[in-house]
Amino acid sequence: MPSLSIKRLSVLALPFAAFSAIAGQVQAQEWTPDGSVEFIAPANPGGGWDTLVRTMSRVIQQEELADENYAAINVPGGGGAVAWAQIARDEGNPQKLFATSPPMILVPLAGASRYDHTDFTPVARLITDYSIVLVDADSDYQTLEDLLNAMEEDPGLSVGGGSAPGSMDHISIAGLASAAGLDAAAVNYIPFSGGGDAMTNLMGGHIEAVITGAGESVGQLGEGSQLRALGVSSEERLGGELAEIPTYKEQGVDYTFDIWRGVMGTPDMPEEAVSYYENLFAEMLETDGWQEARDQLGWLDAYQDSEAFGAFLDDQQALFSNVLSELGLLGE
Amino acid sequence: MEAFNNLMYGFGIALEPINIAYVFAGVFAGTIIGMLPGLGPISALALMIPITFSMEPSSGLILMAGVYYGAIFGGSTSSILLNAPGVAGTVATSFDGYPMAKKGLAGKALAIAAYSSFVGGTVSVIFLMLVAPLLSKVAVSFGPPEYFALMVLGLTAVVSLSDKSLVKGLIAAVIGVMISIVGIDLQTGTERFTFGSAHLLDGIDFLVVALGIFALAEVFYMLLRGGGGKEAPRNAIGSLKLSRPEMREIAGPVGRSSVLGFFTGVLPGAGATIGSFLGYSMEKRIAKDGDTFGQGNIKGVAAPEAANNAACTGSFVPLLTLGVPGSGTTAVLLGALLVMGINPGPMMIEQRPDVFWGVVASMYIGNIFLLVLNLPLIPLIAKILDLPRPLLLSMILIFCMIGVYGLSFSVFDLLLLLGFGLIGLGMRLFGFPAAPLILALILGDLMEESMRRALQISGGDWGIFLEKPISLALLAVALFSLSAPVIKKRLKREVIDT
Repeated sequence: MPSLSIKRLSVLALPFAAFSAIAGQVQAQEWTPDGSVEFIAPANPGGGWDTLVRTMSRVIQQEELADENYAAINVPGGGGAVAWAQIARDEGNPQKLFATSPPMILVPLAGASRYDHTDFTPVARLITDYSIVLVDADSDYQTLEDLLNAMEEDPGLSVGGGSAPGSMDHISIAGLASAAGLDAAAVNYIPFSGGGDAMTNLMGGHIEAVITGAGESVGQLGEGSQLRALGVSSEERLGGELAEIPTYKEQGVDYTFDIWRGVMGTPDMPEEAVSYYENLFAEMLETDGWQEARDQLGWLDAYQDSEAFGAFLDDQQALFSNVLSELGLLGE
Repeated sequence: MEAFNNLMYGFGIALEPINIAYVFAGVFAGTIIGMLPGLGPISALALMIPITFSMEPSSGLILMAGVYYGAIFGGSTSSILLNAPGVAGTVATSFDGYPMAKKGLAGKALAIAAYSSFVGGTVSVIFLMLVAPLLSKVAVSFGPPEYFALMVLGLTAVVSLSDKSLVKGLIAAVIGVMISIVGIDLQTGTERFTFGSAHLLDGIDFLVVALGIFALAEVFYMLLRGGGGKEAPRNAIGSLKLSRPEMREIAGPVGRSSVLGFFTGVLPGAGATIGSFLGYSMEKRIAKDGDTFGQGNIKGVAAPEAANNAACTGSFVPLLTLGVPGSGTTAVLLGALLVMGINPGPMMIEQRPDVFWGVVASMYIGNIFLLVLNLPLIPLIAKILDLPRPLLLSMILIFCMIGVYGLSFSVFDLLLLLGFGLIGLGMRLFGFPAAPLILALILGDLMEESMRRALQISGGDWGIFLEKPISLALLAVALFSLSAPVIKKRLKREVIDT
């Protein structure tokens, strides 16, 4: 039972922790993990959380940013709820981190997790992706306005996405519709088992439009593509291959949507540990190894330290709960 | 001619010494991973991503693809010897493979599995090479209504998998569909049959059910009968050699199942497991001695083994030409490709011919390696049956538990495994067939999701299933295959009456 022994150790360590707190800031800065750090992806291998965790632990190792090993561990189940329940029991453990993104807010709001983001310690926001609206290359819809007008005329118009109702893609398109003056609840959102699945169905003409992550769609766009992008949810245009796609704002809809990803720790993680990880991750973002992997995966840096990330999470919760209640999907 | 030139170019890459080493390492590791029940290619591939990062993308994909098809190749071994499917795609192999092993024909069953896998793998690489870009259109043409119709057609196999009592077969199938429903409903987000437990939110993993109902139930059954007695595997593994008539007998099933398996694999979301079931039930219906399927018919081993390997190769079509992963394993492969800086998609074959043709060529080499590697291993591996019964039974038990625990690291799943073992035992004692349950479990999920998605798109109009030509055709075939036996019986009766 390793978790038990860690708990025992942390009880033993309490007086020392108190001592070092008294000893002041200098010593707090010098905290380093004792042995390897558990870095949890609350999902199966292959998804967004898993990719983040594995990429980070590889970069930290390759760039020799830390002596300790960051061990990627998958704890799948319940859209994250199983892992959260496990981590929530490990109060104060400074060596357990997990990857997080909007489901950390959405799953609890839907009533599917006993724990929400306030139960954990925010460590840092790292990257972000944006939503992208796609239609078939042969479709009549040339601009976002065309599509939104068509949606107003025919509420049955099918928009596919890569996640369940009330989760990221659905919130993103519902928010867009609402910002454009449509009824958010009337959007005929068709959930598929992933963004790729939704895009295949779009190519086959089975649905009219798709909302998915911009990073996920990069491989499908560009020369000879069967798809056309109508807009991205970012504040300003994206770089690289997506530079030609206008934002929603450019097209007169005042709405942005972030698919952020970051790292959180156990409940009440000691401050010195949090600041250690903050610094480590900030340093990691500067390395060549990270920048190379980031560009390949279509991510954009969006660093926020623990405090800013915590405030950001509270804002996101307020925003999402508005959209969810408009959709009638708020859990009790 | 162009394909030939491209293939030669691919062989130029695949035959570089380092890549030959990677193919070999990949298929070898895959075979071992496949043989151990429960330990599947997904986690192995996820662990390999950091290793492949520093490699040439073509080498990395050659290695990882090798692990994937190697695992499907090796997965038949434990299905045949222990009744415990090594990977999900080899469940159907145990239907006839295990009875063969019990009759002392383990060697022959393993040899048939190896030959069929080899043919299935090779035939499908030829398809992959010749028609991959065209096939991406086939994959795309399957939308929700088409998938629903395909699943309905697949489910009609319950009739042929039901041995003696159709009613018992149908009851088992209904239970299978119910198990497939457990978890969060993707369409509404509602929890179904989770009893408030977070462990059930993602549903029940297919392998937990398969290992419980087949392997564990077998262990319990042997224990009940006082350690095995007559029916238990004998020490003899028999000859590996196939006679000429036997070769001729399996040639047809292997050929048909290779093609069927490949096209099933091309459809994202279908894959090796569904492919092997479709192959098995198709052959059972076609065969004149179809009623001996399930009792150790060699065609019942050949068909699913050819189909699952072909489907595995087929699943590279949507992955490489559309950038769409059709299964958990290909999702990990897609992730690895992205990390290596390759964007699979419509342009990939032109932009990175080295990766596409290198992998295609390496698959020919990998399949030969697998055959050469597996055939001499058969007598060694089959020795496992020489173990004293108590040791063998406890080993199966431990393998199953490790396999299930390795899926989710959850003790809860171990309890589920035990539960399904007991259910499986009960089914055996009361004469309920297990195959329909497993089939319905595999198909139920996708069938329900597709049906509801289709209805959501059409605004609740059921006509959508009949308006689409592919869906209409598949439903017609399903109707025909259900009514054919009844009509045949009627006709016979009339002939007798008059």
